[in-house]
Amino acid sequence: MSTPTVSFVVPTRNSARTIAACVLSLRNQTYASVEVVVVDNESTDDTAERALAAGADRVVIAGPERCAQRNRGAAESRGEFVVFIDSDMVLEPAIASQIVEQFEQHPELGALIIPEHSFGDGFWTRCRVLEKSLYVGNESVEAARAFRREVFDAVGGWNENLTAAEDWDLDDRIRAHGVIVGRVDAFIWHDEGKLRLRGTFGKKRYYGQWIAAYLDAHDDGSRRIRRSGLLDKKGDLMRHPILTGGMVTLKSVEAAGIYAGMRDARKERVAVLPDAR
Amino acid sequence: MRILVLTWRDLAHSAAGGAEVYTEQVTRRWAAAGHDVTVFASAVAGRPADEMVDGYRVVRRGGRLTVYRAARKWYAENGHGQFDVVIDMVNTVPFRAHQWITDTPVIAFFHQTAEECWHYNSPLPVAVLGRYVLEPRWIRAYRDRTVMVVSQSTADAVARFGVHNTVILPEGFEPVAVPAVEKESQPTVVWCARLVPYKRPQDMVEAARIARQQIPDLQVWIMGGGPMLDDLRKDAPEGVHILGRVDENDKNERMARAHVHVATSAREGWGLVVSEAAALGTPTIAYNTPGLKDSTMAAKGQLCPPRPEALAAFLVEALPRLQATPVEPLPYGGAHSWDVVADSMEAAVTAFLATTPASVASPSRVTVA
Repeated sequence: MSTPTVSFVVPTRNSARTIAACVLSLRNQTYASVEVVVVDNESTDDTAERALAAGADRVVIAGPERCAQRNRGAAESRGEFVVFIDSDMVLEPAIASQIVEQFEQHPELGALIIPEHSFGDGFWTRCRVLEKSLYVGNESVEAARAFRREVFDAVGGWNENLTAAEDWDLDDRIRAHGVIVGRVDAFIWHDEGKLRLRGTFGKKRYYGQWIAAYLDAHDDGSRRIRRSGLLDKKGDLMRHPILTGGMVTLKSVEAAGIYAGMRDARKERVAVLPDAR
Repeated sequence: MRILVLTWRDLAHSAAGGAEVYTEQVTRRWAAAGHDVTVFASAVAGRPADEMVDGYRVVRRGGRLTVYRAARKWYAENGHGQFDVVIDMVNTVPFRAHQWITDTPVIAFFHQTAEECWHYNSPLPVAVLGRYVLEPRWIRAYRDRTVMVVSQSTADAVARFGVHNTVILPEGFEPVAVPAVEKESQPTVVWCARLVPYKRPQDMVEAARIARQQIPDLQVWIMGGGPMLDDLRKDAPEGVHILGRVDENDKNERMARAHVHVATSAREGWGLVVSEAAALGTPTIAYNTPGLKDSTMAAKGQLCPPRPEALAAFLVEALPRLQATPVEPLPYGGAHSWDVVADSMEAAVTAFLATTPASVASPSRVTVA
């Protein structure tokens, strides 16, 4: 039997700070047959050079947003299994081999979730680390990142109209398509850098407009946003009272940002299409 | 060429480290090549204020904090018109030579920035003042200058403070002969650095504790002296050997006998220990931090997130593989010979002089700081 190839697709834009470690972790997977395709959206820094120096097989230039970049990367790659990684992630070395193992031993699985840990500097980042640790195993927050190519193609890939919540959108569509989603044990480490409340608000406000679009497209989409899962592991919260307080603040600021973004989007829609009222 | 090198300490200083070795290796080669080299550094007890070392002149004046003023005074009295170029070696506190040397071109050199290391080395108020007020101001003083650096990480670090005109020089290294030893029979990790907080030896210990749940016969050698030695010895779990300071031979042998070398420092200029290990046939798993990033990529090692749990996961994956198929020693461990370094730095200085004629050296400016 031939060995299947795992294709990693990494969208980037001015990602010089993190891209080398990301690509190196893909290159250093214990599983040998791995392909690394970086899809760069016109970076003004040396992201592309650093990606190639770290061992990327190819850097493709494409835009305009990350969903389009990922679809382009999937089209440019050849592996039987396609895995979408962000440029600020570092993978533990066993992930590719576990992906192959899961897909080969369980033919019924069409996609896989890879659990995530966060890391970074500063107080707000530590709050985020706590938050993310609560999501591990929570299916309403986690979304699949690794796909059999035929499954990915069958649902038409990433929704290029979304720039946020696109991972849930794809996850929802493959499940609606009847695909069973499994998971691997090894972790992705997500470099949050140094979070700042103001930056977080701005980012969520930007994402908020697509969250509105996501909610419009998915009847039960709100279960993703409610995050009742935050209370599933109360013991963890009680052990870290200060971080829990920080996390509540952080989530409130994010919620305000998303709400502001959704309002921006609705206003815009009303402005562009006066009849939509 | 007549060259003046300003550095806060020379190799004779008791706390001399990698940056001082770099300066000495370059200056002795320049002197041997016929350049007239003077190194200005702070005074060292028991060493003359003026001596010839390896073919170049060393002038020593002032202490840790007064060397900067002493340099200015010495130059005013002895330096004018005596040199073709001045190299300003910045080690946290800068000479800012370009502000007071106006008759000769000045090029700067940053080995590394301090940044988060302030928190490991100073009490909180000093650390906050240093990290957020003083150091940014010191680095920004070089904004419009040509600055030589030793790694992409240092170039990235100074760029955040507005210094964009950087030339990346290679890191130098003199490999020892690979000792004729076999790899250990049980899975073995080596860690080697001074036992000070910013090197994070406790992360190595914690990762070993976690990894031993899956590799029960894992052994870890922690080599190096320092203030954390006693505390680490007290808490060391089974299999973790805190060896303290070991002699050079023992260090090289253990480096060669181990299957993997681990580096956990918060920040380095280059992270030379990674090159040393690679030259002995031992690959590195390093925290993805400035400096370690550069040497580890050059040495074809692995970068892992700076968390003990991640390090443990990387070790558990890597050790069986490395036990089964050891890697070959890497020439210069991914770094370069000192000859290459001396030539590169000379080329960088020559290129700088070609664009900066002595007659139009930067005008004097009032120091605002």
